[in-house]
Amino acid sequence: MFNIIQKMKPKTRTQHGNKMGKKKLAQDVNPNLQKNLDTLKVVYSYPDNTDFLIRELFISGLNKKAAILFISTITDFKLIDEHIIAPLLNNKDENIPIHNIITIQSIENKHTIQDTMKDINSGNAALFIEGEKQAYSVNVANFEGRGIENPENETVVKGPKESFNEKAFTNISLIRKRLKNENLVIENSVVSQRSNNVVYTLYIKDITSEKLLENVRERLNTLDVDAIQNLSLLEQYIEERKYSLFPTVLYTERPDRAVSFLEDGYIVLLMDNSPDSIVLPATFWSFFHTSEDHYLRFMYGNFTRLLRIFALFITIFTSSIYISVVTFHIEMIPPDLLLAIAASREKVPFPAVIEVLLMEVAFELIREAGLRVPSPIGPTIGIVGALILGQAAVEANIVSPIVVIVVALSGLSSFAVGDISMNFTIRILRFGFILAASVFGIYGMTAVFTLGLFYMISLKSFGVPYLSPLTPKYKSSGDTVFRRVLQHETFRPGYVKPKDITKR
Amino acid sequence: MSKLRTTGKIFIIILLVFILSGCMDQTEVDQLAYVVAIGLGKSEEDDNLVKITYIFANPESGTQAGGSGGDEPPQETISFSATDFITSRSLANAVIAKQVTYDLLRLIIVSEDFAKDEDFIRWIYDATKAMEIRRDIRLLVSQEEPSVFVQNNQPKLDTRPHQYFELMFNRGLNTGTVPPSKLNRFFRITEADANLFLSIYATTELNDDTKENKDPDNIAAGEFEFEGETNNTQFAGSAVFKEGIMIDTLTIEETRLAFLLSNVLQQPDEILTSLPDPFTDEHYLTVRIRRESNVDLKMNLDKTKPSILATIPISIEVMTNHGMTDFTDSEKIRQTLEKSFEDTLTEKFDELIKKTQEKYSTEPFGWSLVARKEFLTIPEWESFDWMKTYPNMEIHTDVRVDLEKFGRQTELPSLDEMRD
Repeated sequence: MFNIIQKMKPKTRTQHGNKMGKKKLAQDVNPNLQKNLDTLKVVYSYPDNTDFLIRELFISGLNKKAAILFISTITDFKLIDEHIIAPLLNNKDENIPIHNIITIQSIENKHTIQDTMKDINSGNAALFIEGEKQAYSVNVANFEGRGIENPENETVVKGPKESFNEKAFTNISLIRKRLKNENLVIENSVVSQRSNNVVYTLYIKDITSEKLLENVRERLNTLDVDAIQNLSLLEQYIEERKYSLFPTVLYTERPDRAVSFLEDGYIVLLMDNSPDSIVLPATFWSFFHTSEDHYLRFMYGNFTRLLRIFALFITIFTSSIYISVVTFHIEMIPPDLLLAIAASREKVPFPAVIEVLLMEVAFELIREAGLRVPSPIGPTIGIVGALILGQAAVEANIVSPIVVIVVALSGLSSFAVGDISMNFTIRILRFGFILAASVFGIYGMTAVFTLGLFYMISLKSFGVPYLSPLTPKYKSSGDTVFRRVLQHETFRPGYVKPKDITKR
Repeated sequence: MSKLRTTGKIFIIILLVFILSGCMDQTEVDQLAYVVAIGLGKSEEDDNLVKITYIFANPESGTQAGGSGGDEPPQETISFSATDFITSRSLANAVIAKQVTYDLLRLIIVSEDFAKDEDFIRWIYDATKAMEIRRDIRLLVSQEEPSVFVQNNQPKLDTRPHQYFELMFNRGLNTGTVPPSKLNRFFRITEADANLFLSIYATTELNDDTKENKDPDNIAAGEFEFEGETNNTQFAGSAVFKEGIMIDTLTIEETRLAFLLSNVLQQPDEILTSLPDPFTDEHYLTVRIRRESNVDLKMNLDKTKPSILATIPISIEVMTNHGMTDFTDSEKIRQTLEKSFEDTLTEKFDELIKKTQEKYSTEPFGWSLVARKEFLTIPEWESFDWMKTYPNMEIHTDVRVDLEKFGRQTELPSLDEMRD
């Protein structure tokens, strides 16, 4: 244990390297324009670096030389042209501050070269003026990205169909659109040393527990890496048990879902380049639920929940029950079915376990390969995989037809659990149960199930027990396997320790 | 390094569990030979041997699954002598290719000859020892040797043996022609030593000495005459066991009456029979008899003069009316009808009860279970000795008939007007 901690600690190399860099660049803006330009040209490898541009100009009226520096690929050309260059060139006034010439909403004064660079890197234009000990950072950033599209993984029939995209500001906007409240706070923190990736922490000030917030902040601030490109990677940096089979961080691409969690006192993380958000903390139930459960009317929503919990158990248990019943508990099967199974297995050369494993692996292969197949030939592969393979395997007496049914049923049911992480969890768990069943029958399955429950109860996500509010019991709206009528969901979940537990 | 070592240890322990446990109970379904019925008969050679007959179900018959079973027969039978039906499992493997299992066992067939032997009970109790034999399997007594029974029993349509027997028994129970005859009940009744056990009675051979013009209900297995092309096996009536030995048989009618008198046996759905029409002499009325609720037994069990009053609530639906009397018009006619039914039934019940008292000296209705409750302690009950006192009891039956429908259409044309 201590070994691991010590291994993680020594990061002196990068820290040292950063210090060196800081020393070199943490210099003040020089009144001499040319000197500033020279420094920056070296830093940005001008002119080798083709999208780093310098526009030098003469501000009439003020009678000063000036230079605008920006990275062309992440700035809006038109803005620079119309709102910076044109006003500067056309200026006739002699005594006017630069703020009053440039017609762009946001201008900041920067006193060090390093600060200025940071802004240039994030799409601002820097304006240096001869004789001034400061630079003006003008916000003209324009990163390319896609627009708001439909969610792809968490589709719903009834309810909003917007999903997050790769721009954090768009995502924040989507959240603000749903939560028009001054208490929604968006903190940002830089989590990587070299790529300067920014994580936005969203929470509602008068609901979210201070302790939880502190926990999240601390984990974000103690990260010591060069780059974390997006939330999928960040998730793996901040989760507690990295080898655990169960996910402890919820990942959603639906702004409405993120907002409903925010309203309950959870914390949402956003990042550029991630068409998703991370919700902290997460319980088993948050992976089990979908947003549509609440959009559908009470009966319909609970019906889908019932189907889903049913599907969950089918996925985990059908194959293993088949194996254990066929190899250990023959007397459990009704005679007709037993004879049918025996008849279909008569010509199969493998024991039941191998047979099932064979088909399960084949199914997983079809699934994984199907994901990577280029879309034009997707359907063809699907037919080959599902129809030909299943049919031919039966006719060649490699597997019995009942195994095809069992595997297809469990495979199909696994899709009912929408969350990708939980989906993987139950798919992998299934194999554990198959092995247990093949060695000890139902007894083995029960043992593994019990152990699994023990483990799930021991899990925590940011201090919150994994199965709460079911066990341990917390004050909440009881949104677990089933949900209540909306009017009866009067409490925020107690396990996130919200400052205000009653919903009105 | 230490971490690696612990992981290694854990891995080895888990591996050991797999190796040492060794999948000992594991059996693949396709490597078993499923015995559907065991036959027990007397061995000709030795008193210590029994003749074992097996019916094996062939899983491949009648299935449509991929790679169909071809023209294999639905069942395989084998008969041989063995010391008991537990050792016979491995003996059978001299002929049968797969491991013999009793997982699918549905019935035990006993020859009448063997069932009447006082040693029969020694062999049947082997069934309590074997792990796989369930207590809900049925006991069947066949007139002939089981080996003959099994050979002659060739159902034409429901060829799969387990299905054939299951269907046959269920139908028999629904119509009340055969008793439930579960093995567990056999053991319970034999050990309680107070009642008679009724077992299913069957045969594949027709009796030659069948009397002409016999009442069609008053027959037992082998006496039902039919023509046509079907299986010759008949399941009808019951074999009576007293203290683990078969002593007599009951006809279909007697079996049905026993059902109606018993609170223990599950009631048949429809007993269809014919009762005399009180208004004409030459015609019978077809009726459907159901018991409305449990028999009400009033017992007075003092040692000197014990008596029982059994009130039997019966509802009767008249299905045919060949006498063409209009029952619906007059309350009086219906009362006469009810009275007539009550008299007929009371007479039949009394006759059966008398038979049990005189011939068997105990009853198959499970009344002793009710009688037990009249005693405060078991020793009191034991000293009462049901089997001794039953023959001398004064037993009255009170049949309460409740008329139901008179068929779908109640009215019939008046014959006099029609033939006018």
